[in-house]
Amino acid sequence: MSKVLIVEDDKDLNNAYSLILNHFGYSVETAFNGKEALRKIKQFAPDIILLDLLMPIMGGLEFLKQFKKDPTNKAKVLIFTNMENSPELTEAYELGAHRCVIKSWAEPQNLNRLVSDALLAR
Amino acid sequence: MANAKPTLNSNELEIVFESIGEGAVVVNSEGLVIRANKVALSTLGYNESELIGQRFIDKVQALNIDHKKVNTFKRPMVKAITTGKPAYEYIYYHGKKPDLTPVFVSASPIIKDGKPIGVTEIFRDISMEEAVDQMKSEFISLASHQLRTPLALIKTYSHMLLEGYMGEIDNDKRPAVETIVAATNRMNELISTLLNITRLESGSILLDIGSVDIVQIVAEVIKEMEIQAKNRSITIKTFTRGRSPLILSDGPIIKEVLANLISNSVKYSKDNGNVIITIRGNDHDVTVSVKDNGFGIPDPAKAQIFSKFFRANNIIQLETNGTGLGLYLVKGLVNELGGKISFTSKLDEGTTFKLKLPRTVSPN
Repeated sequence: MSKVLIVEDDKDLNNAYSLILNHFGYSVETAFNGKEALRKIKQFAPDIILLDLLMPIMGGLEFLKQFKKDPTNKAKVLIFTNMENSPELTEAYELGAHRCVIKSWAEPQNLNRLVSDALLAR
Repeated sequence: MANAKPTLNSNELEIVFESIGEGAVVVNSEGLVIRANKVALSTLGYNESELIGQRFIDKVQALNIDHKKVNTFKRPMVKAITTGKPAYEYIYYHGKKPDLTPVFVSASPIIKDGKPIGVTEIFRDISMEEAVDQMKSEFISLASHQLRTPLALIKTYSHMLLEGYMGEIDNDKRPAVETIVAATNRMNELISTLLNITRLESGSILLDIGSVDIVQIVAEVIKEMEIQAKNRSITIKTFTRGRSPLILSDGPIIKEVLANLISNSVKYSKDNGNVIITIRGNDHDVTVSVKDNGFGIPDPAKAQIFSKFFRANNIIQLETNGTGLGLYLVKGLVNELGGKISFTSKLDEGTTFKLKLPRTVSPN
């Protein structure tokens, strides 16, 4: 069973993504900021990370920097944000994000497809 | 008894010229400065002796919005003298001061005995207006982003209800949830449009170039339009012809363009209408044509169809939803991608929009 870590500070959205991905048979763990996510990846070892950018305590870009410092971290990172066409997205790609997705466009089916496509990608 | 006409002597005329509240410059037919008032000198940072007798266009550089030098023949002063007609332009002036000054320039030819003998140019410093515009853009960007967060929740949860993630819903409740989904999609489109227009107008569109599958994008857009089309029994068909639909370009921007074109074709179709999308690839580009058999564009409206806030008369009478921003944005985005957009239309028969995208777009 593939493992997905959802890092999203909005409780309701975090909950929705969990419900959907559970429905499609993934094992799901949640975090509400970058710091908590860094702690959770140690035990959970996710295959995919859904990452919001704007979060309190530690935002998505800072998380990505820390995450990529450790070469044993292999999970693919999908950025979920409401900022399209912004310098933050360019930076996220430079830091090694796999894909960036606009949250308000994501539907349950798309969410499943995004995760399964990312798992299949090299 | 008629009153005597008030007159000014040449000394008083000189005072009048000096008192003009905007920058005012007079040049002769060779473009040499004859007069420059106080406001002009202080805006450009010159004193009188540095400017009088000099060629204005050499002493004062003109730059466009991208801060690139404006071609000499396109400068309002030169246009006015060569055409004998007034010319206007928003540009940046770079005089002696290190900073650029945004100005609105109005240049009028001085005509004597039917011949232009010089130009009077008035320019207004619009730094304040530009700062307000910048604040407006930043506000729209922030507001759009904040609006999207609750929207993401509405969209995700209404889809979850509709698709049975929280148990099956009764058939009589389904239309209500479908309406929420359709309204959310419309709100999302509006926010995207606002955000992109702000970026386009402030010149801050960043292209994110990658491999883009046009067929897949068209399929995604059709999926989002599904409920809207189904409610009015409109059929959407897609055909792919020629070479591969894969290009190197900016996927989200192409999606925005296609979403606008396809949603227009659905919106402006009659009930039971047909929308046909054809994707054709050749060695150099991929063309997407979106054809409907809807209301069409009236001839007098054709020239203005890509203008900001423009909406054709026959459409305004039909429905009130619409901002007149969609095609304005499409045109701007297509330019950014190095593509071309054109259309043919006949009133009451339908419209075909043709989008041509190069196989490779170079990053800006």
